[in-house]
Amino acid sequence: MTARLRDYGLQSERLLWPTKGPSKFEEELGVEELEQALGITTLEKAVRWAQTKSMWPDTFGLACCAIEMMSIVGSRYDLARFGMEAFRSSPRQADLLIVSGRVSHKMAAPLRQIYDQMLEPKWVIAMGACASSGGMFNNYAILQGVDRIVPVDIYVPFCPPRPEALMEGIIRLHEAHQAGVPPAYERRQVAT
Amino acid sequence: MSATLSHVGRARRWPFVGEPVYEGSRIPPRVPTVLDVPAELTESDDILQVNFGPNHPSTHGVLRLIVDLDGETVVGISAVVGYLHTGFEKNMEQKTWWKGITYPERIDYVGYQNNELVFVLAIEKMLALEVPEKATWMRMLLCELNRIHSHLVYLGTSALELGAISMFWYCFRERETILDLFELVAGQRMHTRYFQAGGIAEDIPMGFYPEARKFVDRMPVALNDYLTLLDRNKIWLERTQGVGLLSADDAIALGQTGPVLRASGVDWDLRRDSPYLAYEQVDFRVPVYTGGDVYDRYRVRMDEMAESTQIVRQCLDKLERMEGEPWISDDRKVVLPPREELHTSMESLIHHFKIVTEGYRVPAGEVYVAVESPRGESGCYVVSDGGPRPWRVHFRAPSFAALQATATCSQGTLIADLIAIVGSLDAVMGDTDR
Amino acid sequence: MNDFAQIPGYVSAKDEHGETTVVVDRAHVREACTYARDELGFAMLIDVVATDYLDWSAKGVSGYIGTATGRDLNMPMTQGLQASPDAKPSRFSVSYHLLALRQGAPRLRLQTWLEDGQPVDSVISVWPAADWFEREQYDLMGIRFDGHPNLARLLMEEDWEGHPLRKDYPIGGEPVRFSPEE
Repeated sequence: MTARLRDYGLQSERLLWPTKGPSKFEEELGVEELEQALGITTLEKAVRWAQTKSMWPDTFGLACCAIEMMSIVGSRYDLARFGMEAFRSSPRQADLLIVSGRVSHKMAAPLRQIYDQMLEPKWVIAMGACASSGGMFNNYAILQGVDRIVPVDIYVPFCPPRPEALMEGIIRLHEAHQAGVPPAYERRQVAT
Repeated sequence: MSATLSHVGRARRWPFVGEPVYEGSRIPPRVPTVLDVPAELTESDDILQVNFGPNHPSTHGVLRLIVDLDGETVVGISAVVGYLHTGFEKNMEQKTWWKGITYPERIDYVGYQNNELVFVLAIEKMLALEVPEKATWMRMLLCELNRIHSHLVYLGTSALELGAISMFWYCFRERETILDLFELVAGQRMHTRYFQAGGIAEDIPMGFYPEARKFVDRMPVALNDYLTLLDRNKIWLERTQGVGLLSADDAIALGQTGPVLRASGVDWDLRRDSPYLAYEQVDFRVPVYTGGDVYDRYRVRMDEMAESTQIVRQCLDKLERMEGEPWISDDRKVVLPPREELHTSMESLIHHFKIVTEGYRVPAGEVYVAVESPRGESGCYVVSDGGPRPWRVHFRAPSFAALQATATCSQGTLIADLIAIVGSLDAVMGDTDR
Repeated sequence: MNDFAQIPGYVSAKDEHGETTVVVDRAHVREACTYARDELGFAMLIDVVATDYLDWSAKGVSGYIGTATGRDLNMPMTQGLQASPDAKPSRFSVSYHLLALRQGAPRLRLQTWLEDGQPVDSVISVWPAADWFEREQYDLMGIRFDGHPNLARLLMEEDWEGHPLRKDYPIGGEPVRFSPEE
């Protein structure tokens, strides 16, 4: 089956305007030839490459891991070399949600709201032991792992993870995405 | 409800310094932590209620403020906390004393050594355990380094929120050096779990003293850089001076301690007035300012960084002469024996086994110990039933008390000043919510 | 110590580990706090802590191995469940930690004892700092403070049921499995 542009997250006017029908360009060339003429696999790779090189995180620092996340933006563990120093405060503008810190049940609802407000494609990194599994707090107050409410792509262990460890997680995410692994919401069947 | 404490310092003697910031009390009359919208404005349509939700652009963590705005002026504010409530106190009742030391660090996750210290001091107080001198001085050194670390994080994030974004990178550069020192000593950058009941976990490694000296020589230069960048910057001065006023009487009534109290003209520092560790043997000054605004809190913290550097230097001088001394108490009932002994001594093996599996026991009783953490008075109230686990542990969080002053400080300010005020109170949400 | 006998509602006082604990009657808490603030000069309320002593002396605890005067493994009554801690007057104690801003930083702990369901007078009129401290103890321990203008849950969600720090409230969390066959 030939892949369509929309399969790669690109909207064409076909989707925005369902009843319109093919454009003049497509009528002349034909739909299949158009996509082959554009070299779609290279396009897919190019799109993924662009997405990995500027995956902007959301400011979701909760606890101790947030301090290490701030130090990853610092000059020693420079996150700007990956194009990610622009932490967006608005989830509408963010691609990556780094859940850094322990998530209490009271905070779980805002976390899910923030996740829902993000636009596809979006990724989640569970930073630290508390976000991955509840960490050392196996009690009434802490959500035992943030993957109970949002689908997680990468889990970064330690308490708190060294900035290099978080960077390892981020780079693995980049490599996974570049290789074609879909974001977690497609794999884990969690409602987006 | 009387909010003016007329008995407190009308003669303005020590610990009060200077003139009151304002006369009377500005604590809201109905509920001290909630600023109510004035009656004449409640019927008007111009009040906009904005939710500074738990996730917001500033770097304070998960604090939620419900703010009523009349234009840009704040006319009503109330804070909702609890988004980071972790149940530390209940969790610590399940763990032995030794294993429980990992928990307090994560409460105030920026000044973590101080929380460890206060819990360990409480255990030692109940056990009447003697701590070797080397451990005391090393604890003091690490706590002062942690104070510098905490104030650097405060300065970086506060300046970031007010728009002076490059301060963030400068402060975090120095912070990385401090974390390197922690890693050199304890193996872990944050949450070091280095303090134990009886001393410190391991001996001070080789190479620590030269590295620490390099830092101590570098720090005054860095502080000078920060002062140059900020202190004569007109925008910084205009945004911080005269904003968020809190008088000394109100600060005492609201239970403020630490830099917030010292910036309001109260000369009170637990390190000097109720010394713990070896603070009576080091020379340091306590900075006190009388303006009670955001700028003075900033100046208090900057001066405290300079004083902490001096304390670290004095600790290094003292510690370098204590090479080879014990770093932890030799009471085997409480302290793990050195690993080499486990091969040869049956008693050591048994002690090790008992301490790790069952835990050492602390006599029944209740104590309250307080230290001067970077945020103020951080205290630990422990009730022991004589067993291997605490019966009740409660941490007095300075950030919890500091956030109670939000309503008083932010009367009639603009919303942009609200960010400056909450930043200057330096509240860490882990500390607030525990 | 002599001053403390004048506190309204005074029941007893003790000096332990260098700290003074004065127990006052539940009905006179507000007067005692006002007296402590005005007459004794304890200007700052540091903390309000509630402790739940449910089952405190129900089960024995092995006597502690170390004492302040000396440590002796051969001391009798240190093996086995023989030494149980002394009984407490009631289930809950509420401790007010006070600090005087004077030379020497004198501290005082005012303590009052109450049963489940009994309220305590709020000291918010004495020290406004008591606002959130009392709310937190209400939230986590279920102790009601009469006269508090805004006694709502602070740390837990508004519709949370139960008071988590009580001894009969479970620790919660999830059971940990150490092997996949369980």
